Amino acid sequence: MADPITLTIDGKQVNVPAGTLVIEAAKQVGIEIPAFCYYEGFSLQAACRMCLVEVEKMPKLQPSCTLPAAEGMVIHTESPKVVDARKGMLEFLLTNHPLDCPVCDKGGECELQDMTFRYGAGESRFVEIKHHVDEKQWSPAVYYDAARCILCYRCIRVCDEGLGVGALGLTYRGVGAEITPSHGDHLECDECGWCIDVCPVGALTSGTYRYKSRPWEMNYAGTICTHCGDGCKTTLSVRNGEVIRANNRDRSGINDEFLCVKGRFGFDFVHSPERLQSPLMRRNGKLEPVSWSEAIGLVSDKFLEVAARGGSFGVIGSTRATNEESYFLQKFARQGLETNNIDHHRSGDVATLLDALSGKTKALATVNDLYTAKAALVVGADLAQQHPLLAYQLRANWRHHQSSTYVVSEGPVREDQYAAKSVRAAAGAELAALEGLREDLKKHGDLVILFGASVKGDAVRSLVAFGDSLGIPVTYVCLVDYSNSRGAMDMGVLPDLAPGYKAVDKPGMNIDEMLTSPTLDVLWVVGANPLEHTQLKNEKAFVVVQELFLTETAQRADVVFPAASAYEKSGTVTNVCGEVQRLKAGPKVMGAKPDLEIMGLLAKQMGLNLGIWTPDKVFEEIRRSVRGYNVALPVIATGGAAPTMPVNGRIPVSPRPDLIRPSGDTLFTSGTLGRYSRMLNKVMEAPGQLYKP
Amino acid sequence: MTFSPELEARFARLIENYPPGRQKGALIPMLLYAQDEIGSVTPELLAEVAKRLHVKQVEIEEVLGYYTMLTREPRGKHHIQVCTNVSCMLTGGEELYAHACKKLGIGNRQKTADGQFSLEEVECIGACSWAPAMLVNYDFHFNMTPEKLDSLIDSLRKMQ
Amino acid sequence: MGIENLWESMPKINEILSGAAAIAKGMTVTIKEMMNPVITDDYPDAPPVFQERYRGLHVLQRDENGLEKCVACFLCSAACPVQCIYIEAADNTDQLRISGGERYASVYNIDYSRCIFCGYCVEACPTDAITHGHGFELASFNTSTLIYRKEKLLAPLPEGTTGALKLDHPVAVGDAGH
Repeated sequence: MADPITLTIDGKQVNVPAGTLVIEAAKQVGIEIPAFCYYEGFSLQAACRMCLVEVEKMPKLQPSCTLPAAEGMVIHTESPKVVDARKGMLEFLLTNHPLDCPVCDKGGECELQDMTFRYGAGESRFVEIKHHVDEKQWSPAVYYDAARCILCYRCIRVCDEGLGVGALGLTYRGVGAEITPSHGDHLECDECGWCIDVCPVGALTSGTYRYKSRPWEMNYAGTICTHCGDGCKTTLSVRNGEVIRANNRDRSGINDEFLCVKGRFGFDFVHSPERLQSPLMRRNGKLEPVSWSEAIGLVSDKFLEVAARGGSFGVIGSTRATNEESYFLQKFARQGLETNNIDHHRSGDVATLLDALSGKTKALATVNDLYTAKAALVVGADLAQQHPLLAYQLRANWRHHQSSTYVVSEGPVREDQYAAKSVRAAAGAELAALEGLREDLKKHGDLVILFGASVKGDAVRSLVAFGDSLGIPVTYVCLVDYSNSRGAMDMGVLPDLAPGYKAVDKPGMNIDEMLTSPTLDVLWVVGANPLEHTQLKNEKAFVVVQELFLTETAQRADVVFPAASAYEKSGTVTNVCGEVQRLKAGPKVMGAKPDLEIMGLLAKQMGLNLGIWTPDKVFEEIRRSVRGYNVALPVIATGGAAPTMPVNGRIPVSPRPDLIRPSGDTLFTSGTLGRYSRMLNKVMEAPGQLYKP
Repeated sequence: MTFSPELEARFARLIENYPPGRQKGALIPMLLYAQDEIGSVTPELLAEVAKRLHVKQVEIEEVLGYYTMLTREPRGKHHIQVCTNVSCMLTGGEELYAHACKKLGIGNRQKTADGQFSLEEVECIGACSWAPAMLVNYDFHFNMTPEKLDSLIDSLRKMQ
Repeated sequence: MGIENLWESMPKINEILSGAAAIAKGMTVTIKEMMNPVITDDYPDAPPVFQERYRGLHVLQRDENGLEKCVACFLCSAACPVQCIYIEAADNTDQLRISGGERYASVYNIDYSRCIFCGYCVEACPTDAITHGHGFELASFNTSTLIYRKEKLLAPLPEGTTGALKLDHPVAVGDAGH
C-alpha cells in the first residue's frame, strides 16, 4: 500500500490509503454517495451511473464507484450539476419501472424507492407506454419480474463471484435486456437466494416471503442458523409469531450477508403442521396426547423407580441443543441419575485434535481466519455441500487476497475452480496424498487445515504431525456436521469425558452399547434420532424422547415431550470453529417447551437440586466450570462470536473412530429438520448441479 | 458433437490465437462459423462450445441474446438483410424493406413457408456509399430499388 | 299605606312595554323557525341523513368488473394509528382472479373496538379500495363481534358480475418478451 493520500470531499479533508475508491473515501467522512450497482466486496460495474460526482479539473462527471482517490482531488457530491445528473438517472431508471410499489414485496425497503424519495424525479417527462414483461418463476425459491429490474448486475456478481455458481446472466439489449437463469426458463443453482437479498429493487423476489408481509410489520430476531455447524448469523423476520423470512442484511455475525439455501429458506420446519404441540404418552400401545404434568409425573416416577432399584439409564444428547441444554443434560445424567451412559451422534474427531494440539496456543482457526489466511488445505471434505460458509470464506479470501487453496478429496469439489492444486484420493487415504503437496504448502506464510470425518483417530495425529513438519504457523478446523456438534462435545455429552474434556472415573456406555444393551432400563433421547435405521435391543426399555417431530425414535417412545427448535429459544451454540454465539428466540410455537425447561421441570419433580434452569444461569456456570468457555460476555451479548480458548493440555482420550459417522447431508438436506422443511424438499426436486462448469 | 474437418481445423487455429486463459475470446467467431455450418445455434452446439472454451452456458446465452447475427432458429436458404440505417433510410431503404416484406409475404426475422427466404431489417452494414444496400447471406447488393429486388428474388427462386 | 307608596309599587309603563317587546321578539324567532324546514332527523324512526364526507363504517370497493380493488399492500394497516387492520395477502392466479393487481387480500379484518375513524387508512390507500361508508350502527353487547371480516366490509357486486374472474386461459397483459 502506498502512502496515504489526502483529498477533499464536500470541503472535508479525508486521508485514505492509495487505491481507495472515492465512494468509500466519502463514507469515511459520513458522506453517502447513492449507488445501485456498487456493492462492497464485488467487482466494479459502473452500470447505474447514480454515483456520479463532480471532480474539479475533470471536464465531466465521474462515477465515484470506479474512481480511485488521488492526491489533492477536490470532489463535490451535492453540486447542482450532480443533483441534476442524479435526477436524470432516476428518471431514466423509472422509464420502464412499473411503479407497482403497493404490490411489490420490496416496498418499504427498496433502494430505488428511497432514492426517488430523496433525490426527486417524481415527475417523468416520458409519455411512452412502459415496456412490460410478465413475471417468471425460476425456481421454487426465486421469482423474477423483469419490468422492475434496473440491470445493476448485483445478482449476477454475487452468484458468479461470491458463490462460484454463475447461474445468472444478462441477455438481449437495450430496453429488452433482462437477467436470464442458467437453464433457459429455470434456475439450477445452489438456491441460496442471495440474489434476492442484494436486489436493490423488487425484481427478484423470494418464494417463501412473497406477498406475506411488509418490512415494517415484522419483528426481527438475530439468531444462529440451526442447520449446519458453520454458525451463520441469520435474522429472522417474525410476523404474528411466525417466521416468514430469514436473511442477514445488516452484515452482523461471522457470515457477512452470506446464507445458504438452508439458512435462507429452510426455516419453515418451525411451522410444519407435523410439529408436536402436546406431550404424548403410550396408552394401550398407542401414543396419546396428555397434559404436561401427567407426562412429567410419569417420567419422574419411572426414573425414581429405576434409580431406586439400581437399574441402568442410557442418555442420548443432541447435536442441535444449546450448550446450556447439553451441559444441563450431562449434569442431570451424572449427578441426578448417577450414570456416565451418555453420548451423542459424533461427526468429527474433535477430542483427538485437541489432544494432538496440546501445548500449542492459537492452533484453532476461526471462521474469519479462513478469510485472512495465506493458504488453506481442505482434506477429505466437500465444503460447498457441507460447509457452505467455510467454502464462501475460502473463495472470498482467494478473490480479495489471492490466497491459495489446496484440496485433497475423493471426488470433484467446487474449490477445484480456483484451487492452486487439487488432488484426488480415496476416503481414508488422504494423508498419503499430502506428501505431494508438502513443498507447495511450505511456501506460504501460514496455513489453515480443514479436515472432514474421514480423518479420525490416529490419522488426526498424523495430520497434526504433518502440519508441524511444514515449519509455518498452522491452524486447524475439525469439520463437524451439526449446529452444535462441537458444543455437545465441549459440554461433555460423552461417556468418557466430562465438560471441558476432563476424564470421568468410570466411563459409561457409548451410543452403540446403549442401543444394543439387553439390560437397558431407560433410554432418554433429547433431540436426536438414533433409531432411524436401527432397533433398540431391549424391547422392554422405557423410552423418553424430547423432539420436534414424531421421528422414528419418537414413535418407539413411551413418553414424548414436544421440544422447541433452536429458533424458539435462547442460549448459546458453538460452531465448527469453536466460536460461541448467542441464540435469540424469534417465533413461538404453541405447546412446545425448550429442552432446558423440560429437563428443569423433570428435575424439580424428581426432587433433584441441579441449579436454576434458565439459560443465563446455566451459561454462567459453564463459563465458570468448563475449560475454554470463559469467553467475553460483551462479545456474546452483542451478537458477536467469541472463540473458545483451546484446551491446553492432554485429553485422556480413548479414540473410537468407529463411532464417528458423518451425517452425509448435502447442501439441500439437513437431517430431521430438512425432512420437515417444505421449501428444502421443493428445491430438492431441482437439486442443482454444483460442479458443472 | 462433431464438426466437419475444415471447421475443426479452423477452431484449432482460432483457439491458438488467444493467450492461455483467454480463449474465451474465440467465442463469437466460433459460434458464427459453426452456425454457418449447422444453420443455427442449437442447444448441442451451445453445450459443445461451452465445453471447448471453458465458459458457462449462461455466458454464451448472453452473447446469443446480444448479437443479432447469431440465431437459434434456422434461417432460410437465402437470408436477406435490408439496411434501414440513416444513409439507406434517406435513399429509400425503408421502402425497400417494406417492398421485400410484401414480396416475400413475411415480416422481420421470419421465414417463408418453403424455407427458401428469410428476412431481417438490420442496422448499418457499412455500405453507405452505395445506399440503399442489402445483403443476401454474405453477398452485398448495392444501389437497390424495388425493381432490382424483385428480379433478384426471382433469380434466386430460379436457382433452386 | 299611603297613595305615594302604592304609586311607587306599580310597574312603570315603560317596563311593561319592554316586557311585551321581548316576548314579541322571542315569538318572532319561534314563529320564523316554525315556518322553516326541519333540520333534525327522525332517527331511529327514519334513516338519518349524512354529509358526504361523514366517516362511518369502512367499505372495500370493487371495480366495474366486480374485482376487488384492494391489492393487499398493507399501507392502510401501516397508517392506522391504533393498529386495528389485519391483512393477509395471497396470489391471484391465472385461473382465479380476485383483485385487479397481482395479489389480493385473502384476509382483511378491521377491529371496530379499536378503530377511531380517523380516515388515515383511506388517505393511505393507493388504489382507492378502502373508503368510509356511512354505516354507524356498531353497538354490540359482545366486543368479539366488532371484528369485521372482509366479507362484511366489501361493497355489493355490480350487477352481472361474480366478484372473481375465472379464466380458462392465462391473462395476456401485454406483448411480452422478444
